[in-house]
Amino acid sequence: MELQVFFDKAIYSAEAIKKAAYRFIDKFSAVISENGTSYSCFIKFPDKSTDAQAARLVDEFKKEVLDQDLRESIKRETEGVRNLILAHTFSKAGLIKDE
Amino acid sequence: MSKFQPIEFYKNKTHSYELLPLRFEALDDQSYVVTNMAGEYLTLPRDKLSKLVKHQLTSSDPDYINLRARHFLVDDKTSIAKDLLAIKLRTKYSNLSEFTGLHIFVVSLRCEHSCPYCQVSRASDDKVAFDMSKEVADKSLDLALKAPAQNIKIEFQGGEPLLNFPLIKYIVERAESLRGTKNIGYVIATNLALINDQVLEFCKQHKIQISTSLDGPKDLHNHNRPRKGSNSYEKAIEGIASTRRYLGKYSVSALMTTTKASLGRVKEIIDEYVEREFGGIFLRPLSPYGFALKTKTYAAYDAEKWHEFFVEGLEYIIELNRRGKEFREFYAATILSKMLTSTEPGYVDLMSPAGIGIGAVVYNYDGKVFASDESRMLAEMGENKFQIGHVLKDTYEQIFLSDALLDPIEESFAYSVPMCTDCAFESYCGADPVFHYGIYKDFVGRKPDSEFCNRNMKIFKYLIKRMEEDSFVKQLFTDWAQPNA
Repeated sequence: MELQVFFDKAIYSAEAIKKAAYRFIDKFSAVISENGTSYSCFIKFPDKSTDAQAARLVDEFKKEVLDQDLRESIKRETEGVRNLILAHTFSKAGLIKDE
Repeated sequence: MSKFQPIEFYKNKTHSYELLPLRFEALDDQSYVVTNMAGEYLTLPRDKLSKLVKHQLTSSDPDYINLRARHFLVDDKTSIAKDLLAIKLRTKYSNLSEFTGLHIFVVSLRCEHSCPYCQVSRASDDKVAFDMSKEVADKSLDLALKAPAQNIKIEFQGGEPLLNFPLIKYIVERAESLRGTKNIGYVIATNLALINDQVLEFCKQHKIQISTSLDGPKDLHNHNRPRKGSNSYEKAIEGIASTRRYLGKYSVSALMTTTKASLGRVKEIIDEYVEREFGGIFLRPLSPYGFALKTKTYAAYDAEKWHEFFVEGLEYIIELNRRGKEFREFYAATILSKMLTSTEPGYVDLMSPAGIGIGAVVYNYDGKVFASDESRMLAEMGENKFQIGHVLKDTYEQIFLSDALLDPIEESFAYSVPMCTDCAFESYCGADPVFHYGIYKDFVGRKPDSEFCNRNMKIFKYLIKRMEEDSFVKQLFTDWAQPNA
């Protein structure tokens, strides 16, 4: 069974869609391509899948894309402070020595 | 002027805050688990999480103060949050600079048991072929004492290590004479069938702890652990009693292995541990290595069945505690330490960077050095991927800077592994390149397919849900998280 899902390029990044698809790698395969103003996600389910199972998984996949989008926002905003905290953490651990 | 600021002072009037690094996972249909860099967690509804990230949360929101207190956001009242996070994170990783704490000496591969799931033992009388020599023991000890850790543990394993007791004596006495200022703890991992007064007297003299196997009630234990005379259980029980008489009640601990025959009997297994006056049990699944794979024992139950077994056991233990019987489940306790404190328990399977070589190292009977106990089990199946050197041929530097050790540690580091990098449970979990290589021939594996990932994710979510819904469980788990409290 195969299905196609579209995501608006103005809203979602390819990275978010790829990461979401990776999380479903045990349940379906996905081919992502660019298609004008949207990303197209071509989803192929295992042969034995029912319509209901496929619909549920597509629904979960869409929610996961939203979650990945949120993760991107967090990462963008916190990257600087994350690096600062990590540097601060290990500066006193005695693990990094001056050359 | 009042000694304290009024409550209005702590309210964020401008609604402006800065997000601190955080990760999240869905806990169920309604709520999400959010964790900060140090692994502290909160649960939130999805819409609240979205509001937080979009800076729409106001300080009057009931979750706002919690989010600020747990370092998920900073505002003009909390300038110290970044420093506190750094301190907590540094504490978590402080073990790394100590390097290898556990040194496992396989003094003999021989064993008088013939357990079908055992990865390594040989039912042989050939001492030359399967016992560690003094030369290998000397070199192994030299390597162990080179570890930078001030406190190290030497664990004697087998086979059945008591079949080569003279070498254990030799190693302990030599270690005591060479240890300098290091503190060394000793453990003998034995089935206790061969324990006697002479061994116990020596253990008493050198404060040696005993770790044994107890798979459950008599019929189950003897079914899992066949030996001549079919009396493995009786030997273990007698051994536990005599060890306690000589060394004290807390000198002996026991480990169980879950086989297909154990499924459905978790309460009886726990009852056996309670009856034997152990303070807890480590409910652990079979490892996919060695004879367990060869004899199909490993394939006898899947991750789903294991989870049912684990949850039934944990619920039973919670009930025992509710009725006033103090008793712990040690796998949950290890995870809870990571969830609720800044300490790192150092359990090799749940470490990232991976605990191989860093947390533990194995000196095999034949001089080969392996990155972990599981690594040598894999080697017994002909896969030497994790042999990191040889005590008679390689120096300390050659062994611990070998590509065989550093490549899997680097490649499996969860911070940079697909899916793990975004996972809210990353700081509770581990990299375990040996497990993934054993099953998938790849240090990382694809996490959606990974049994290790599925098994642990389910347990993390389960522990959090139980704490959220039951205040007794929350208090109990908080106690378990602090092993020395």
